[in-house]
Amino acid sequence: MKQIAYYPGCTLYTKSKNLDLCARETAQILGVELKELETWNCCGAIYSTVQDDLANQVAPIRNLIEAQKISNKLVTLCAACYNVLKRSNHNLFLPENDIYRRRMMNFLDTEYDGKTETVHYLEVLKNDIGFENLKTKVKTNLDGLKVASYYGCLMLRPSDELNFDDPDNPTMMDDMFAALGAEPVEFPFKGECCGGYVLVDKPDVATRCSQTILESIVDAGADCVATTCPLCQYNIDNQQKLMSKQFNLPVFYFTQLLGLALNVDQKILNLDNHYIDPKPLLKQKGLLK
Amino acid sequence: MLELIESLQEIKKDIELLSGQTLSDCYQCGECTAGCPTAFAMEPVPSQAIRLLQLGKFNEVLNSTGIWLCASCNVCGERCPRGVDYGKIADALRTIVLRNKLTHLTLEKIDKQFISDAPQQAFIAAFRKYTT
Repeated sequence: MKQIAYYPGCTLYTKSKNLDLCARETAQILGVELKELETWNCCGAIYSTVQDDLANQVAPIRNLIEAQKISNKLVTLCAACYNVLKRSNHNLFLPENDIYRRRMMNFLDTEYDGKTETVHYLEVLKNDIGFENLKTKVKTNLDGLKVASYYGCLMLRPSDELNFDDPDNPTMMDDMFAALGAEPVEFPFKGECCGGYVLVDKPDVATRCSQTILESIVDAGADCVATTCPLCQYNIDNQQKLMSKQFNLPVFYFTQLLGLALNVDQKILNLDNHYIDPKPLLKQKGLLK
Repeated sequence: MLELIESLQEIKKDIELLSGQTLSDCYQCGECTAGCPTAFAMEPVPSQAIRLLQLGKFNEVLNSTGIWLCASCNVCGERCPRGVDYGKIADALRTIVLRNKLTHLTLEKIDKQFISDAPQQAFIAAFRKYTT
């Protein structure tokens, strides 16, 4: 079985086990082993754009070096980890940052050529496994489920550093859901920010950002939302309790719906770990017994 | 409140060095503010903040609430027709305040129940952006 280095990140080990476990299991079914790094540390959760802030880049670079023991690719699931790991590597290896690069390698006392490519699990599904191939592996067709793919900001921008998908109209997750038989729903706030970490300082501001996104999703007629980021998931799921409107809209991780389509065990899907219970919707659609 | 002891020229140089942006590049089209998801609560909004910095009103911007509301979503930088990234400028401004040992957020300010509910990713990011 093909092995690719895998970096879960801090939140996937605790609050977002459903995002992590479903990915490992579905990858296994699809013939890829996500091999967790032997040792890893938190990536820092947010990229520091301050030009002299080299200290904040040490943690992500250390993970990328560790990945070299397994493969030239490092798979992540969390949109924040993806953003931080990929940008750190991209920017450290720009020709004008030669002096920073040498300082970093001196500090880490190692040599690293920047060859670890950070990829998102969605990119593995698209490029290594292929959506056409994925279609043939579906056991439970998600027929009739209208899914709004919410990408958020960290997967898409800055597009010149991440090069993930069209930053204004991304389609990768929608294409995956189409392959699973679900109906992707178009809405204008696919890449709008949920408020992110502003939630910790000014919860009312972040909650209003999330509410704007949910309103747009409900207007588009979706049954549920799919995300890739634990903080997006929290902001648009749990914060529904503080919103001025009742949406009652379930918010999944994209790997949970992928797992559902591939008949992954319910224990791994972990559908209880949500504020808005998604089980009634899945039962109504005949996707869950 | 941050009292600047550096000269105006020095602080402008700091902002441009830390952010990698040139303040005079902005021609005030307002695209950054139009796309900013938290602009509704910001004072001043991104384009106003850049204008104030161009005019040398550094104290006003550094002591404003607006700079702390940037969620680093990068819509402004992605869409700016002049290649100015306000997110990076906000990061530089916050860094200047924080490096003067003025912490924006303390643990005591955060609700205990929220700490046990929310993903740790939120706290790591917030403490990186809001504390010294």
